[in-house]
Amino acid sequence: MQPLTATLSAAAALKGRILDWIFQWRGPERGTIVLVQRRVFILPTRQGLLFGGVILLMLLGSVNYDLSLGFILSFLLGASGIQSMLHTFRNLANLRISAGRVTPVFAGETAEFHIRIANAARMPRYSVAVTRDRDTADYVDVPADGEAVATVPVPALRRGWLRPGRITLFTFFPVGLFRAWSYADLDMHCLVYPAPVNPGLPLPRLQAGDGKGGAQGLGQDEFAGLRPYRPGDSPRHVAWKAVARNDLLMTKQFAGRVAAELWLSWDQLPPELDSERRLEHLARWVLDADAEGLAYGLRLPGSVIPIDSGAAHRAECLRALALHETAADRP
Amino acid sequence: MSSQLNAVAEQINGIILGKAHQIRLAIACLLARGHLLIEDVPGVGKTTLAHAIATSLGLRFQRIQFTSDLLPADILGISVYNRDTGGFEFHPGPVFTNVVLADEVNRATPRAQSALLEAMEENQVTIEGETRQLPVPFFVIATQNPSYQIGTFPLPESQLDRFLMRIELGYPDAEAERALLNGDNRRDMLQRLQPRLDAGGLAALQLEVQQVHASAALLDYLQALVNTTRRSPAFAHGLSPRASLALLQGARAWAYMDDRRHVLPEDIQAVLPAVVAHRLSPASETAGTSGTALATQLLEEVAIP
Amino acid sequence: MKRLPTALNSHPLVSREIHWLTAAFLFAAAPHLLRMPLWISGLVAGIAAMRLLQLRLRFALPRKWLLALVAVAAAGGILLQYRTLFGRDAGVSMLVIMLALKLLETHTRRDGMLLGFLGCFLLVTNFLHSQTIPTALYMLICAWFLLATLIGLQYTGTWPGWRHQIQRAGVLMVQAVPLMAVLFLLFPRVQGPLWGLPQDAYAGLTGLSDNMSPGSLNNLILSYDVAFRAEFKDGRTPEAKDLYWRGPVLWDYDGRTWTAPRLTQSTEDLPAGGDLEYTVTLEPHNKRWLFALEFPGQKPPRAIATRDMQLLSFTPVRSRLRYEMTSAIGAAYGADDDRMVLARSLRLPADSNPRAAAFAAELRNRHREDRDLVSAVLTLFRNENFVYTLTPPLLGQHPVDEFLFDTRRGFCEHYASAFTVLMRAAGIPARVVTGYQGGEVNPVGGYILVRQADAHAWVEVWLENAGWVRVDPTAAVSPARVERGIASALPRSDPLPMFVRGDFAMLQRMRLTWDSITYSWNQWVLGYNPERQRRFLSHLGFSEAGWQTLSVVLVVFAGMAVLIGAGLALRDLRGVRRDPAKLAYDRFCRKLSRRGVPRGAAEGPRVFASRAARQRPDLAAAINDITTLYVGLRYAGDSGTAEALQQLERRIRAFKP
Repeated sequence: MQPLTATLSAAAALKGRILDWIFQWRGPERGTIVLVQRRVFILPTRQGLLFGGVILLMLLGSVNYDLSLGFILSFLLGASGIQSMLHTFRNLANLRISAGRVTPVFAGETAEFHIRIANAARMPRYSVAVTRDRDTADYVDVPADGEAVATVPVPALRRGWLRPGRITLFTFFPVGLFRAWSYADLDMHCLVYPAPVNPGLPLPRLQAGDGKGGAQGLGQDEFAGLRPYRPGDSPRHVAWKAVARNDLLMTKQFAGRVAAELWLSWDQLPPELDSERRLEHLARWVLDADAEGLAYGLRLPGSVIPIDSGAAHRAECLRALALHETAADRP
Repeated sequence: MSSQLNAVAEQINGIILGKAHQIRLAIACLLARGHLLIEDVPGVGKTTLAHAIATSLGLRFQRIQFTSDLLPADILGISVYNRDTGGFEFHPGPVFTNVVLADEVNRATPRAQSALLEAMEENQVTIEGETRQLPVPFFVIATQNPSYQIGTFPLPESQLDRFLMRIELGYPDAEAERALLNGDNRRDMLQRLQPRLDAGGLAALQLEVQQVHASAALLDYLQALVNTTRRSPAFAHGLSPRASLALLQGARAWAYMDDRRHVLPEDIQAVLPAVVAHRLSPASETAGTSGTALATQLLEEVAIP
Repeated sequence: MKRLPTALNSHPLVSREIHWLTAAFLFAAAPHLLRMPLWISGLVAGIAAMRLLQLRLRFALPRKWLLALVAVAAAGGILLQYRTLFGRDAGVSMLVIMLALKLLETHTRRDGMLLGFLGCFLLVTNFLHSQTIPTALYMLICAWFLLATLIGLQYTGTWPGWRHQIQRAGVLMVQAVPLMAVLFLLFPRVQGPLWGLPQDAYAGLTGLSDNMSPGSLNNLILSYDVAFRAEFKDGRTPEAKDLYWRGPVLWDYDGRTWTAPRLTQSTEDLPAGGDLEYTVTLEPHNKRWLFALEFPGQKPPRAIATRDMQLLSFTPVRSRLRYEMTSAIGAAYGADDDRMVLARSLRLPADSNPRAAAFAAELRNRHREDRDLVSAVLTLFRNENFVYTLTPPLLGQHPVDEFLFDTRRGFCEHYASAFTVLMRAAGIPARVVTGYQGGEVNPVGGYILVRQADAHAWVEVWLENAGWVRVDPTAAVSPARVERGIASALPRSDPLPMFVRGDFAMLQRMRLTWDSITYSWNQWVLGYNPERQRRFLSHLGFSEAGWQTLSVVLVVFAGMAVLIGAGLALRDLRGVRRDPAKLAYDRFCRKLSRRGVPRGAAEGPRVFASRAARQRPDLAAAINDITTLYVGLRYAGDSGTAEALQQLERRIRAFKP
């Protein structure tokens, strides 16, 4: 049993090595990948072989019936087929592939990697497909001296950085008799946040400040400004003078010593939860707190994000959760 | 640079020491008919700069200190019942002037902010259903504290987009600071400032800036820059068409101040950080990078076609 | 952006693609549809219309079993119509119907491509019927259309329009021409057929037959088809009266019909002194005769010569045949023919044409000499009231009698037949020779064009010491027929194919030009057979080369053709045409870069100029001048651009860091 397994794995390794050599797979590449001509491979499709068969049949008929024009037509169509190989090849050659934008997702969602395909040639490229899973592909047309963006969806299973891995670019254009393809392994990453638990635990109640923190936050001492009224605001804080002027409910905000601060903390969670689960609960809390427009801070073992609010803050907190104790294979 | 603009710049340089580039940007921003946002910690001379610009250009000037209880009417004006005439009488707010200095704009509530922003966008204000034109020219020079200061309402991205430029003054270098310490009181110096231009002269200059030629090759470069922000993974979102226009206008003004009647890539590069830094934010991959750093990275990344 | 399955085969076709497929199919099938029985054409057109209507109205298409039923019924109908399923016409009908039915179940890209491929095959079948230039052009357009249709199946984004599709296909085909030419010339040719041909393969070929009865030549003479063309070496075209193209020699007479003997003795002994050299390009006529001027001095390859001076190919002529020939005009032969031969050429059926026999006996009494007797009959034809016409009255049981003594209106076959009967009855060996007489000199192409309308029959008599001598009784009646062609010999009221008369000079001219083109077409395109390929190869210096050499030659030339195609295709990968000022400036930057002052990609021209000038103060002036010129051209939109550009290029050429 053991030797067989060893042989098999050796064979698999050898096959991998051969494929690496043929297709020049060399791991992720930074920056722009140019599909130079030796990186583009081409083989006939099943339809291409069928077409060849039909041409052969036409030739046989022409020989049998001594049809000179039959020869010419067969050769013309056959030669057009061969010429279409060059056209398929050139539809892919010299494209410049680079990483496009990537939006962070939550685990369990699908990350969409945008692949930029630039064409410096004076002819447009039609039906250039980008695929990763070999089941579905994104077909784009790249205008002459222009650029197109294709999307590669990758299911995000775990939190942390997600890489699309090696993607395949291919095209059948113009006749579909040949398939030209090329590989690109772009150095791109998508941040995957932990999947928020649904439904989660209720947000921890605002805690009374311990007076030692010194951090500034929303308090009750000093008038700091007005914000639109949200249900639940204390009627004491409604700026009635402003209402009289504007017909708009405004809530007064006060700065000063923090009377209550919302800390989303690792340690507040039930101890029976494992660390991944905790991160998921924290993600939920971050989303909930953000949705309520609260200012909040995040405490993780080894890192603290001070109290703040807004989209950037939310992103920072989620990022901390996503990358908590992961091997930082990404700057 | 035309002699008048030269004189303006000289005069301001005499007050704000060691910030010639920022002053030039500020003048370019006004020449391009754009509003200016000055962002920095308190005390580096934001207000002084705004004041100096307004005075040197010979424009009417009003200062509004933005606070959390500032109301739109405090900016725009209010109609008061006049017993004698038996009707309402409009008392124009401080916004009815040439240059509005909106000091610490992020201290006011979004409602107050948006009142000003409508005025910036439309060059008119609507009060109690009545639309009133603002004087020409009309500029807003806003100052704001960095957003991490507490008790602030940071301007949302859509409103930041309305400022043609954002400049940061930064601390003066040692030499400039020494000169500052040795020199007169700034407030007194502001009082002594002489107008070097007037509203009519400024309008003429602005018209000339409009005529500065931008060739197809230059627009190619500009579009390459903008498209990169829209497609590159480094940016959370791309620049808006408004930003493209702002970039072109800023570059035109910059070229004009360099006494040229055509725009060069260098002009775009000179104004780009000021024009786009406040409109860019980093994507998750480049989290923590400032808008200014992103703008610099953009300039390095995009080749001039 | 469009997310689709990786394999597009099962991708559904859109209306536009089905419209194209239907139209391409109808175009390719159109020549067949015009030839086919009405019910087949109607069926096919109906199916196509149904498919197009379905796209609009979206009703359910017939199920598979129903289609199968229709296919079986159609096969039955074809069997009834043609009595076979495998003949040429039956097979093509079947193919067309099947393709039409396939149209009804073409839903995916895979189906569409298959239909396109089969459409290509359908194109070739058209050549079974016609290989003329118009057909070739039509099929070329059809192939173009089909290719464009196939290309149309491949768009996944926005459709760039039919122009783009057509243009793509055209470019593809034009770029394929070098390879096509190499394959056509060098691909090893095998003489067909590889397998049995259907019986009706050569139906409809016209030409002389091995028998002649009154009226049998008439149909031929009404045909405008080309029999053959002959090109004389050095332009030595013989006179019209010598243009007797010898064909079947008819010996046997049953009182009505003349027939050629089944078996003939071959001979190697052809007349000497054949100094008239020419080349004959014979249209296929599905018989073995090869035509030559009297009398052939040599035999073509793969043919025999018979003792009665016929040239017979080993196999029926089923494709256009080209052969070199020499002739000795007016040569004598057969003076030593033996008694057996002569006896056969005296045989007459008993109790037929009694009046003619009586008349011959009477002539024999008057003229002892054979030559006198021949002259006497010719004089009779010339002086009596004989009329040369294409529309003679019908003849009864004794056709020669009735013709000679009652109707006296006839055509060459009547005269030849009557004359031979008289001779035989008078004891002079005689036989009927059929063939063509005359032909039209085409001054455009420099050759003689012989049509079926030039078919003719004349007589040979055997005279002591002279051998076989040609006698043309028609010439006695109508000398014009022999000297100026059939059109001038016939009364105007007689029907003749349009154009044969040549009344309109311009039309005549156009017709001759067109025929000359057709002649070259036949020579160089249709006539390119294994034999010609051998000769072409020997021109290239590969005579007697083995197949290995020939394969290498083919591969080398095909490789070159593919390289040409690759060069044409990959040319479009070049970048967009840049501003010449920018190109010049790039050259300038490369020069500086080689001297250690490279420009950053994002470095503006003025910034770079000042940096370069700092690094190379010796060049500062030149660098600044060039930069000023460049900036002016590229960014300031300087007027007088052409001049400024020239100056910039000059300065950069002169710039030697």
